[in-house]
Amino acid sequence: MSAGFARLRPWTPGPATWGAVASLMLWQVAAWALAGSYMLAGPIEVAGWIATHPGLLWRALLVTLGNAAAGFVLGNLAAVVLAAGIALVPRARGVIGALALVVFCLPLVATGPILRVLYGPGPGPQITLAALAVYYTTLIPLLVGLRAAPASWFDLIRLYGRGEWTALVQVRLMAALPYLLAGLQIAAPAAFLGAMVGEFTGAERGLGVLTLRAMRGLDVEGTWAIATLAAAVSMLAYASIGALARATALPRPEVLSALPPAEGARGWTRALLTQALSVAILLALWWAVMEALSLPRFFAKRPDDLWAFLVSAPMAADNRAILLAATAQTLAYAVPGYLAGLVLGAGLALGLTILPGVAAVILPVAVALRSVPIVTTAPLIVLALGRGATGTITIVAVMIFFPALVACLQGLRQAPGQVLDVMATYGAGRATRLWQAQMPAMLPAFFAAARMSVPAAILGVTVAEWLATGTGLGNLMALTASTSNYNLLWSAVVLVAFGSALGYGAVGLVERWALARFAPEQLRV
Amino acid sequence: MAEATGPEIRCEGVSKRFMAKGAAVEAVAPLSLTLAGGQTTALVGPSGCGKSTLLRMIAGLEDPSSGEITIGGQSPQELQRAGALAMAFQDPSLLPWRTVRGNVGLALKLARQPVDWAGVDAMLARVGLEGFEAARPAALSGGMRQRVAIARCLITRPRLLLLDEPFGAVDELTRARLNAELPPLWRASGTSVVIVTHSVREAVALADRVVVFSSRPAQVVADLEVPPDLSRSAAEDLRADVSEALAQGWDRAMKAAE
Repeated sequence: MSAGFARLRPWTPGPATWGAVASLMLWQVAAWALAGSYMLAGPIEVAGWIATHPGLLWRALLVTLGNAAAGFVLGNLAAVVLAAGIALVPRARGVIGALALVVFCLPLVATGPILRVLYGPGPGPQITLAALAVYYTTLIPLLVGLRAAPASWFDLIRLYGRGEWTALVQVRLMAALPYLLAGLQIAAPAAFLGAMVGEFTGAERGLGVLTLRAMRGLDVEGTWAIATLAAAVSMLAYASIGALARATALPRPEVLSALPPAEGARGWTRALLTQALSVAILLALWWAVMEALSLPRFFAKRPDDLWAFLVSAPMAADNRAILLAATAQTLAYAVPGYLAGLVLGAGLALGLTILPGVAAVILPVAVALRSVPIVTTAPLIVLALGRGATGTITIVAVMIFFPALVACLQGLRQAPGQVLDVMATYGAGRATRLWQAQMPAMLPAFFAAARMSVPAAILGVTVAEWLATGTGLGNLMALTASTSNYNLLWSAVVLVAFGSALGYGAVGLVERWALARFAPEQLRV
Repeated sequence: MAEATGPEIRCEGVSKRFMAKGAAVEAVAPLSLTLAGGQTTALVGPSGCGKSTLLRMIAGLEDPSSGEITIGGQSPQELQRAGALAMAFQDPSLLPWRTVRGNVGLALKLARQPVDWAGVDAMLARVGLEGFEAARPAALSGGMRQRVAIARCLITRPRLLLLDEPFGAVDELTRARLNAELPPLWRASGTSVVIVTHSVREAVALADRVVVFSSRPAQVVADLEVPPDLSRSAAEDLRADVSEALAQGWDRAMKAAE
């Protein structure tokens, strides 16, 4: 009914349209004003480049889209299978969750070349990387969704003597559907990112190949045009899945970017045991897969190879020193970028609640920019800000900023209306409302973003180091991949994956503490 | 076709303890109670006294910490598997993605009974929801949703019907209407019914027998028969008796706490 009326009404531009127009104008003005000092191309130049190379772009886009779509399907299927497994065997949640996290933290920069060696030429690495880039961001909301149903719905199933399987089919799957769609929405741009990184590793065709070529040739318009196209496709995918989710007319889930840490009550020893078990299973799986596929030890290193390389071999101390130095360089970029992105995102969100009109314009733009893959922005920022610390830290900060801003704005909206009404009856001002009601409501979303941002920051910094600065772990991994120094490469991969997972866990601990103090209802899941 | 009389419910030495923050909390003190088959029994008591816990134990949703519950000689779980038990909760607990018809039909499916859609529609008509078969729960009022929940309970022809404050969340006027319209639906079939409520008026209006509980841990403080065809003044007297028993149970609990 209402849709019919809406169609009859004349179209008027909403805040999203104003936001888009304003961003385009800002971009063009910046391109003109800074043309002398920065390598920037505005929308007009980008449109011109696209108009002169339609065939080239179209063919590359189709290749990348195909790889991204295949990875999207495979990765999300994996997420669904993992989530269903956890729903049926809840005790496995700790171990499966930890394994999934570590695999998600594998640095694309290194897994790309390794997969290239494994697969040889063809789309294998692109599709695998796209799948790896999406499965975790789908798994997490799915796990939340599978537990999102009220207890009495499960009582209803049990009343007729039915078990977990019926509960899964009749209740959990449908209750999780909106969460699945929310996850798929985030996954769509991530699949595109994975496919492009895969193409960087020596594919024959695709947008990633074009990007590398344009960057090496210092083709500013070309780099910007490819990035714009990739960003537009990502946004379109993001928006279409959003529209699909709205069409289901199911209640939309609240903010979700990470799983609420639910297992704290069980105690430290239990948690540590789970982690130790996870590491042991991971090492065993790693070894078993390589033995089962009988991959050559030359490039497919086993845990004992790395033990020898880093601990027992004569040169072990030197090897460790190389890794440590690279880690220090990487952290010097990653930590400031991470903190800056979080603080700026949360700060802007808080500032915008004082100016709700501006927030209505900025939120759609921020949601759209959140869906832009880092591999498309990284070359632009490098072109604009150079190959030094500023550019790299900016890449990391941008990577964190938009998800943090969107999550915090959504979190601020969760402030209970009745509490705000109570404050209004006492004539409380904006600052009081912000501090007493909206800030605490924002915290869960903020910490969820902070946690998911740890792997994102590492991904951003390693991509930047690889494409631009030539320092740190990102460069080390790219270099060792091309010089076939696989011991060092695998060591770096393990270091990055476990380091990211540990950082994720550490932020989770801070989160628990803060939520217990400020939003205890969030911990009662 | 329905059995002449529903099953007798026997609770023998049934108690329930929960662990909360490392300390054991006794929700239901050991109690023995026999509820005659085919009767409607109301369990009345102050909020949080454990009457709902007792009902959930009868439903087989919680296991007693001690004692045994049998329903017509069977365990609650056996009754569940036979599809012979139905329960309505305070929240209607309808699945939002299913239509009204789909929610009622689901009970037949869960109880492994053939899904007879004409029968489902007839049941919906009996609870006054004709014309709403294809609606989704979100489009209904609170009272209508509770009617759907009752229809879902009755469609499987249960031998035991458990109602946990089913009309607690609807307004007083709607509640009075539901209390007048719905009980005849299960009265006729001879089903054994247990209703948990904190409304004395509802208990006396619906039940053949009213069992009054003290505050936690739940213990029986009064057990009153409700004669059929109660006159207005007799009903008033009975309500006064139940209220008196409730107040005594409360006093006793207060003294025990001191």
